[in-house]
Amino acid sequence: MYYKELYTHKSGGSLPQLVSAENENMQSRYVVQKVLALREEGVPLKEMAILFRSSFLSFDLEIELTKANIPFMKFGGFKFIETAHVKDMVAYLRVLENPRDVVSWNRILLLIDGVGPRTAEKVIDDILKKRVRGAEPDGLVGEGAGSSTDLSRYWMQFNDYSDNVQKLFDVLKHVAKPSVAPAEKTYQILQYYEPMLKTRYDDHQKRRKDLEMFQNITERYQDVGSLLTDLALEPPNESIVDVESPGPEDEYLTLSTIHSAKGLEWHSVFVIYALEGRFPTMRSVGSDEEVEEERRLMYVACTRAKENLIITYPMNIYDRESGMILTKPSRFIQGIGEHLLEPWVVE
Amino acid sequence: MKKFTLKQLPTDHLHLVQPQHLKIDYKGELNPAQYEAVTSVDGPHLIIAGAGTGKTRTIVFRVSYLIELGVKPSSVLLLTFTRKAAFEMMRRASILLDSRCEQISGGTFHSFANGILRKYAGQLGYDANFTILDQTDAEDVINLIRTRMKFDTKERRFPRKEALYDLYSRCLNTLTPLKELLALDYPNYLEQEADIQAVHTAYVQYKKQHNLMDYDDLLVNMVLLLKQNEPVRAVLSDKYKYIMVDEYQDTNKVQAEVVKLLAFKHRNIMVVGDDAQCIYSFRGSTIRNIMEFPQEFADCKIVKLEENFRSTQPILNLANEILKRSV
Repeated sequence: MYYKELYTHKSGGSLPQLVSAENENMQSRYVVQKVLALREEGVPLKEMAILFRSSFLSFDLEIELTKANIPFMKFGGFKFIETAHVKDMVAYLRVLENPRDVVSWNRILLLIDGVGPRTAEKVIDDILKKRVRGAEPDGLVGEGAGSSTDLSRYWMQFNDYSDNVQKLFDVLKHVAKPSVAPAEKTYQILQYYEPMLKTRYDDHQKRRKDLEMFQNITERYQDVGSLLTDLALEPPNESIVDVESPGPEDEYLTLSTIHSAKGLEWHSVFVIYALEGRFPTMRSVGSDEEVEEERRLMYVACTRAKENLIITYPMNIYDRESGMILTKPSRFIQGIGEHLLEPWVVE
Repeated sequence: MKKFTLKQLPTDHLHLVQPQHLKIDYKGELNPAQYEAVTSVDGPHLIIAGAGTGKTRTIVFRVSYLIELGVKPSSVLLLTFTRKAAFEMMRRASILLDSRCEQISGGTFHSFANGILRKYAGQLGYDANFTILDQTDAEDVINLIRTRMKFDTKERRFPRKEALYDLYSRCLNTLTPLKELLALDYPNYLEQEADIQAVHTAYVQYKKQHNLMDYDDLLVNMVLLLKQNEPVRAVLSDKYKYIMVDEYQDTNKVQAEVVKLLAFKHRNIMVVGDDAQCIYSFRGSTIRNIMEFPQEFADCKIVKLEENFRSTQPILNLANEILKRSV
């Protein structure tokens, strides 16, 4: 490590706290009450964050927060772009852009009622073969066999499939025209996709919101190629399915994994589950290198706080995987003097 | 015939700009360490920027400083981990100085590689309209191949698609042989090394055949292009004369390789990061890049930013203590 010692010219500030609670639920209730107390003192919810090592560590807290009517947003869970329904939409656009993209063909074909892996393979085979055979039909093709502009011509020849498959080709044929903007393409495809969304997912209304967000994103683009590139390389972060709606007050508490909190800051920061077996994780403790990385995570977590830093741990956790009971505070804070870290206990 | 030899301009001719001719009062706006980082121009530099020490501000001012010295905006390359970060820095620099700062070349490693590869795809046997596979797409393709090669019905347990993707990805990103990774993380599959390798070969072929690249391919193909194609490497190194890399502690070996290859002509490379905040090794990043930078570039100058503008001293004391207890 490069030796360095952080300092500030700011004066004052209170000691960070180390708070032990008997069990998980007491830890959660402590956090809820402390958050409410800080809010009464004038710290807005938006200036507070609860950080944790792994996404699942906040489940109990989420329940308590909901009970106390505290709106929150959770970061570091599923990414918007990784949700099945958004991936479906992206797959339609991808075949428009790269007709050789067999993965996407497979995905959108299997969405069709009555199409199984075998039919999908046959259709894909047809598509690829037709492309090869008709590479230069009549000089109308723009950029040669590899370009996407010529693809719609081949679908036109497809009319010996079942109605359901034909319907997909009709939609694609229609939106493949270069004159149709990405947003319009998306809109048309959404009309086609919506019935499948409804039959496939019970929570289709929540998912529908993701797709609306997707539709909004497409408005900004002139061509499908750059839209797809951005989605692949710079995906928008959170899925609605995963995030508790903050409500009209626009006041919300942040729940985040430490990884997703990097580079950010809050007036008051809680680091929960500072417990051996959770942070550092059970699986990291076998390797010095991994433990050191966990230590750096703790460092990243602590340096997010501007004024208040509160580290908490439950003292009695049963770990199903190992069959052990976890009781020790994290080695990263265990034994640090009271002049640096003030010990508290929740009763 | 008589010869007239043109004088070579000194390489550091940019430094001839006098401080009083600069629009921005860099010295007044920055603390001494930041000022030193900002005004370091030629050659390799390592900036160790602790948490909350004004790292972004320092990069913003350096972009502005380079432009004020007369560096062509497009020859400044700023590589970051999110596009948002790059845009934010460019936007702030242009507010600080002027709109030239928005014309620098900025973005993520992957988007930068994507741009270059779209242009030179033909050199690698790809079409310019290749599709980028995300992780789950890549896993699906691997699964397809796994099934096609009948590894789903073998007597012996064969790694699942997620494990295969993880293995292939880490082989590339950490430049570690498959066998070594197997021994380390999946010792019970060690015997099937040849089969695992065969699936990988088929995966690589499949991607090429269908014009697909996964995330790793973007970087790996970029390195391949730079290594194989000397003229392209020279063109790009000439184009990007001042290279800056943000969050260098989170780069992997392939990314470090990209940087090194791009800078081969001029070695004007400034990496910024904090070894204490390296937390992405599960994605293949390695703290070694930042630790070994001074060995890679023996004449590099190291500047440390330690004044924190975020937290109170008691919080910093605890943070310092947590690091100090490292074994």
